[in-house]
Amino acid sequence: MQLKTDATTPASQSALGLALLTAAMALPGADTAQAESAPERGLISLKYLDYQDSQRGRDRISVRAPSLMIMTPLAEVWSVSGTYTVDSVSGASPAYHSQQLTKMEDLRRAVDLGMTRYFSQGSLTVGANYSHESDYLSRGASLQGSISSESKNTTLNLGIGVSDDQITPSYGGIHETKKGTDFAIGLTQVITQQDIAQVNLGYSHGLGYFSDPYKLADERPRVRNHTTVLARWNHHFLRTEGTSHVSYRYYRDSWDIKAHTLTSDYAQPLPQGWTLTPLVRLHTQSAASFYLPTDPATAPGPTFPAFGATTYSEDQRLSAFGAVTLGIKVAKQLTPDWQVDLKLERYEQRAGWSLSGEGDRGLEPFSARSIQFGISRLF
Amino acid sequence: MQIFRIPFEAMASTCEVVLCADDEGTAQALAQTAIDEVKRVEHKYSRYRTDSIVSRINRAAGGEWVECDEETAALCTYADSLFQNSSGLFDITSGVLRQAWDFRRAVVPSEETLAPLLALIGWHRVERRDRNIRLPDAGMEIDFGGFGKEYAADRAADALAGQGLKHGYVNLAGDMRILGPKPDDQPWMIGIQDPRRHGGLMATIPVASGALATSGDYERFFEIGERRYCHVFNPRTGQPVTHWRSVSVLAPRAIVAGSCSTIAMLKQAEGKAFLEEAGMDYLAVDHQGNFHQRGDDAH
Repeated sequence: MQLKTDATTPASQSALGLALLTAAMALPGADTAQAESAPERGLISLKYLDYQDSQRGRDRISVRAPSLMIMTPLAEVWSVSGTYTVDSVSGASPAYHSQQLTKMEDLRRAVDLGMTRYFSQGSLTVGANYSHESDYLSRGASLQGSISSESKNTTLNLGIGVSDDQITPSYGGIHETKKGTDFAIGLTQVITQQDIAQVNLGYSHGLGYFSDPYKLADERPRVRNHTTVLARWNHHFLRTEGTSHVSYRYYRDSWDIKAHTLTSDYAQPLPQGWTLTPLVRLHTQSAASFYLPTDPATAPGPTFPAFGATTYSEDQRLSAFGAVTLGIKVAKQLTPDWQVDLKLERYEQRAGWSLSGEGDRGLEPFSARSIQFGISRLF
Repeated sequence: MQIFRIPFEAMASTCEVVLCADDEGTAQALAQTAIDEVKRVEHKYSRYRTDSIVSRINRAAGGEWVECDEETAALCTYADSLFQNSSGLFDITSGVLRQAWDFRRAVVPSEETLAPLLALIGWHRVERRDRNIRLPDAGMEIDFGGFGKEYAADRAADALAGQGLKHGYVNLAGDMRILGPKPDDQPWMIGIQDPRRHGGLMATIPVASGALATSGDYERFFEIGERRYCHVFNPRTGQPVTHWRSVSVLAPRAIVAGSCSTIAMLKQAEGKAFLEEAGMDYLAVDHQGNFHQRGDDAH
């Protein structure tokens, strides 16, 4: 039996220990560590993402995306942050189902700005984002607030966002718009010294052009509303000093897509500043009501929409499928200020893995891999 | 970066701030904020100053309500929670027993001496309304000596953390709050006083974060024959506790470590069960000199 060297949490959890700690945390100054306070130092981080997806030996889309993020505190109670990302997208995308891979190339530049004001028991963030590529322009704004109970054990988050997109496909003739409004409400509760739980509800209302102008037969409803429920649980293991994050997300939209996503990762700190974080994510979704599955009679050609149909799509992303993501992240704290990390992820998607049982077996299996390198420094 | 030890005198003992800085001048300047905070707490809650808030509350005993500042009210609330969680054994009104127990004269007080003092003890009878407090009987007293030193250690460490320091600790005569490990992430090796060998250490334990506090029967005591009379009193009998020579507790904050070690002393033989239930790591030495650690009964 060894005494543990880290006494920031009790050796084991108990109602008595928690009662004593809670009493101590109510003393002046004691909440300094937990209070939502403006960051004391700035952060600059550079990330580089290399993504490639493919189907049966054929590469589809590849993305190379460097991004730069800067966050700095201002005048004690404020912080501002900005992120600049350049996505260069190239490769080939199916015109329908997983067929007729059509070459494409685009460059997307995106800017995200945020400004946060910290209060003794909460914070307020205003954000704005802008992105531009040859055929798509997106502008958005958001407002997010959080308020904590006196003990800081309970936090309520509220958010609202609006977006305004313009779609002008390269072949001309289409000038469309899409507008979105998002609402979010969440509750975070510290349960014990080692457990934090969170529940978030989101609702989004979208109006406008949702179709993919590069697909062969793609006419989608002009309204898309979706609801999400996200439940998270973080647990700190005293024995290993590691932390697990488990989350479950339920999604359903007005197109009849229902999706369940279970994500779990576990961050294990190791000697010399290393942290190893394996991740697994399981996803299943049902198909959109207007998804047109492959037709054995016409395959490998496209499926023809029924006479008089007003909405239809042969986009693989709207089909029913199941997917598994396996990932691992290795991070190393080089000095108290510098950190580097490398994240590898492998994604496998199969029509047959959908729990809805309605997977379109005529679709090719789809997979992707991504590598992200990051380096950050506190200043 | 280099490790500097800055000793200072406070709370009638030798204290030190240990921190990392580029040079001694910077280290001194950084440490001064912590030292100032310790002195502030010491001065504010001193029993020996007639103008202190504690003296004002005690002088008004049996009479008027006294309005406290926020910090004092918070300390009273903390004291209340200790009282509740120790079945009334940790009682900040038990300081009146000092009037009967004179450690310099080394005399065991008679029942007749203790009885009127015991009648003045009872935190549950103290009236509190928002930030106002009233001691119901003339002669009643409160004092924060039971956790004042640990509170000061926490406040001093918070002051250092507020300046961005991440390595070091504040040590107020053995009660300490760790800011963070050594610059190379190794834990600090903290010595624990041997309760029977003055100035000697009985153990050295690695601590990287959190706090460590010790209560013992060796700080102020006298002995008559085999029997040792120490300064930790049961508030119901007015008699010193005898089961533990010393109890050291590791906890997230010094005030919690200190309170748990004192409650364990007060609970006597049940102190071990209390520490196990509180879920804190501890190292205790019983009256026969046997060592006890968390979970050792399980082996």
